[in-house]
Amino acid sequence: MKIVVAVKQVAALDEEFELLDDGAGVDPDFLEWDLNEWDTFSLEAALELRDSAGGEGDEVVAITVGEEEAEEGLRSCLAKGADRAIRVWDESLAGADALAVARVLAAVLERESPDLVLCGVQSSDAVNGSTGTALAGYLDMPRVAVVTHLDWDAAGGTATVHRELEGGLIEVLRIRTPALLTIQTGINEPRYATLRAIKQAREKPLELVSPDGLGLDEAAVQAAAGSRTVALAPPERGAGAEMLDGSADAVAARIIEIVGERMAG
Amino acid sequence: MARDPKYDILFEPIQIGPKTLKNRFYQVPHCIGAGSEKPGMQAYHRGMKAEGGWGACCTEYCSIHPESDDTSRVSARIWDEGDVRNLSAMTDRLHQFGALAGIELWYGGPHAPCMESRATPRGPSQIASDFELNIFPRYMDQDDIDTVQQMYVDAAIRAREAGFDIIYVYGAHAYLPFQFLSPFYNRRTDKYGGSFENRARFWRESLYKVREAVGDDCAIASRFAVDHLLGPISIQVGEDGARFVEYCDDLVDLWDLTVGDIAEWGQNAGPSRFFEENHEKPFTGQIKAGNHTNKPVVGVGRVTNPDTMVAIIKSGQFDIIGAARPSISDPFLPKKIEEGRFDDIRECIGCNQCISRWEIGGPPMVCTQNATAGEEYRRGWHPENFHPAANRDKSVLVIGAGPAGMECAMVLGKRQMSAVHLVEADKEIGGCVNWISQLGHSDGKENLFRGSARGLGEWKRIVNYRQIQLDKLKNVEVHAGSRLSTEQVLEYGAEIVIVATGCHFATDGMNAATHAPIPGADASLDWQLTPDQVVSEAKRIGNRVLVLENEAYFMGVSVAQKLAGEGHDVTLVTQAAEIANYMDYTLEAPMLHRDLDRLGVHIHTYTMLEKIEPGVCHAYDVWNPAHKQQFEVDTVVLCTARISDDALFRELKADKARLEAEGIEGLYLIGDASAPRMIVDSVFDGHRLGREIDSPHPEMPLPFIRERRLWGETTNEDYLHELKNTADVALA
Repeated sequence: MKIVVAVKQVAALDEEFELLDDGAGVDPDFLEWDLNEWDTFSLEAALELRDSAGGEGDEVVAITVGEEEAEEGLRSCLAKGADRAIRVWDESLAGADALAVARVLAAVLERESPDLVLCGVQSSDAVNGSTGTALAGYLDMPRVAVVTHLDWDAAGGTATVHRELEGGLIEVLRIRTPALLTIQTGINEPRYATLRAIKQAREKPLELVSPDGLGLDEAAVQAAAGSRTVALAPPERGAGAEMLDGSADAVAARIIEIVGERMAG
Repeated sequence: MARDPKYDILFEPIQIGPKTLKNRFYQVPHCIGAGSEKPGMQAYHRGMKAEGGWGACCTEYCSIHPESDDTSRVSARIWDEGDVRNLSAMTDRLHQFGALAGIELWYGGPHAPCMESRATPRGPSQIASDFELNIFPRYMDQDDIDTVQQMYVDAAIRAREAGFDIIYVYGAHAYLPFQFLSPFYNRRTDKYGGSFENRARFWRESLYKVREAVGDDCAIASRFAVDHLLGPISIQVGEDGARFVEYCDDLVDLWDLTVGDIAEWGQNAGPSRFFEENHEKPFTGQIKAGNHTNKPVVGVGRVTNPDTMVAIIKSGQFDIIGAARPSISDPFLPKKIEEGRFDDIRECIGCNQCISRWEIGGPPMVCTQNATAGEEYRRGWHPENFHPAANRDKSVLVIGAGPAGMECAMVLGKRQMSAVHLVEADKEIGGCVNWISQLGHSDGKENLFRGSARGLGEWKRIVNYRQIQLDKLKNVEVHAGSRLSTEQVLEYGAEIVIVATGCHFATDGMNAATHAPIPGADASLDWQLTPDQVVSEAKRIGNRVLVLENEAYFMGVSVAQKLAGEGHDVTLVTQAAEIANYMDYTLEAPMLHRDLDRLGVHIHTYTMLEKIEPGVCHAYDVWNPAHKQQFEVDTVVLCTARISDDALFRELKADKARLEAEGIEGLYLIGDASAPRMIVDSVFDGHRLGREIDSPHPEMPLPFIRERRLWGETTNEDYLHELKNTADVALA
């Protein structure tokens, strides 16, 4: 059994930040990096499947496309129990969008031939929610998005998954595997790595490979890309905001007044 | 980050007589247990605040003569050249950081028992102190008045020599000048008694003489309780309170305004369970609002919120933000506001542990939020600076995120240990504070006196501050909801393991009074509870509740308040002379008694339970066990002994070979898991271990500088040599 988990090292903004001179990115001095929250759940799901199968040679492989800071995220996956990790990078991937990243990940998966692919529903920084779905497209795999429950019959090649629909309905689907699932937060309780596991993770295999090494040329990646970020900007502050100062009583009185005005209006 | 212009007003200088206060942050006089006998502690504690941005810091009350001797409580003293020399250390330290130094000249009258000097205090009338036990003053004739006023003048001249910038003639808290002013103390019929002018004469003359002596060089201040809170029998703000400010306005450069007296000074140093931020405003706020003064006014009210500070100044309540407790909890409060580091502010929780040690008489001050308070000199601890640990390559596992564990992990993080994991079994970090902060009650109703019942909610600040700090530390990971077994700890991979697993209440009535369980006590039954079970609400609580209070601090009475506030009929039983003895020291007792009375709680002191049966508690009088009493009850709360949860530590420690095999080099036990204690001491214990994690034997506290007199010729070096750790404070 081989499960591949595609993860992303996401950036969080400091309270105050500055944009790069070209306006298309945030100055990295103001960013803090961490593993995408959704990916901690998809990794946990993969680890639980592997651990309950308990077979020789079963493995969980964490993969990512990213610069050096992404290694830390992969190391944390290894510390929590992933067996090995792969990072794909060269300079040509700078600024790659979700579709381009999916194209690169597809090349890794073609090499790895996994039995199951898990992604997070979305990443907290770019919030496209499209990498996993695009990846399934490239691989021509069945895919289910926003999975909240997962039973996998690896030997039988089927999985039963739940999705939460609007209004409290749960959709139950049965699918063929290999398949790609995007995992929702809350599906499990992600484990954390002990200090020993963190130390041992330093010895686990972490492969760095370029698109070239996967047989992908730059043109193929560029052809896959659907968009390019031209500018980032803070939202313009609307006129509707009113800052309430003063004592708790004064603020409460003003809130009652405002609600009253709006209700009347 | 640059200062938000909204707070600029707090950083504007203001003139106080001949001196310029560089900003509006002012540490009003408050006790620390240093006095003039521990000059290092005095200098470095006040100096820490100057470093943290306070524009002025004052001594505690400073006795002007052996006739005003407060032993066993610790005041400063400026009796002679030796005191000048010792207090100069403080003024030098303050001046290094550009802060002004204030001294609060004090003559206590009958409130000073003179137990060391054996002198006889003098007073306006021969009425025994309402604060001390059985201390009468000697009636002051004109010669006595002249003599005492000369004591003020001589002390002021010595204070100037010691380098003080602001010199107080202190009359608040019902000390001598106020005793003349108030008809509660003053029954004289001469020119110092009777009319307002006569009663104000002593204070006015004293101010005049001190001003004549040192007023050209030093700012003259007076601390004045604008309202004694005793009604028409004493000073009221709307009457003689405002009148006195007007009457002496020409003689002062600064008014430091308070309320109340020393007998119930919890009305001034209001505990958070009864008083909210800026609680003195209805009284002290009247002075400027009513245009009774042309001089700058400083006042207090445990203000920790920068927006409240701005509002106080903009609204014209005060010109200067005074603080005692907030400056102890965070000596760097001004700097943090200036730098926009609001979430780094360690807010005072209003527990009054600082005050308790002064009330006990002798021990140095402590602070629940700031474990370094009072330790600046003797241990070289700095609240903001932490030198990297010599063994910082080691990784640490801290088990249990209560007060001790949180503090220890935070300090170790700041000391740059390579990795610190803080692992907590509960879903949230905070330990006992999470349920303790839900005790008391807060129905918002006015008490029988000033203030209202507010509960212990502000104590949650202990958790909030540490949670934010832990979040910011990149080398610290916090994992809640994870209970580790002994085996998991062994295999965790930490080189240093710190067990901070807290304690639990005895379920069988084991207690400090009888050293035995109580027959029939069993908190596993659905009608008997330990205090934590009262909050967890897992058990239904009946109408008639008996709370057995053997703990002597806040626990039993806070449970009683909570349940009575929720409508239960509560009986509070203690073997002691008084419920919650320690709350006398924290100044919470008077308001507590008013509140328990309001809530209809029945109190039985000197009473202990003999046995508990369904529906009835059998009690006896501790002085006559044959004298029995029965209480019919539906529910019993056993606030008896606490027992350390140290099983994990004992198991780990038992197998030394295994510890070694797993690479665990250090194993330590802190906080309640070591021995149940007050939160302030748990925080200290965690902090202490973090500060000394790289000492030869971290489980053994290092020696600290003892400022006792060394026989023969000595230098400051002799004292510094007593310190065995690397100081984070630059000591000289």
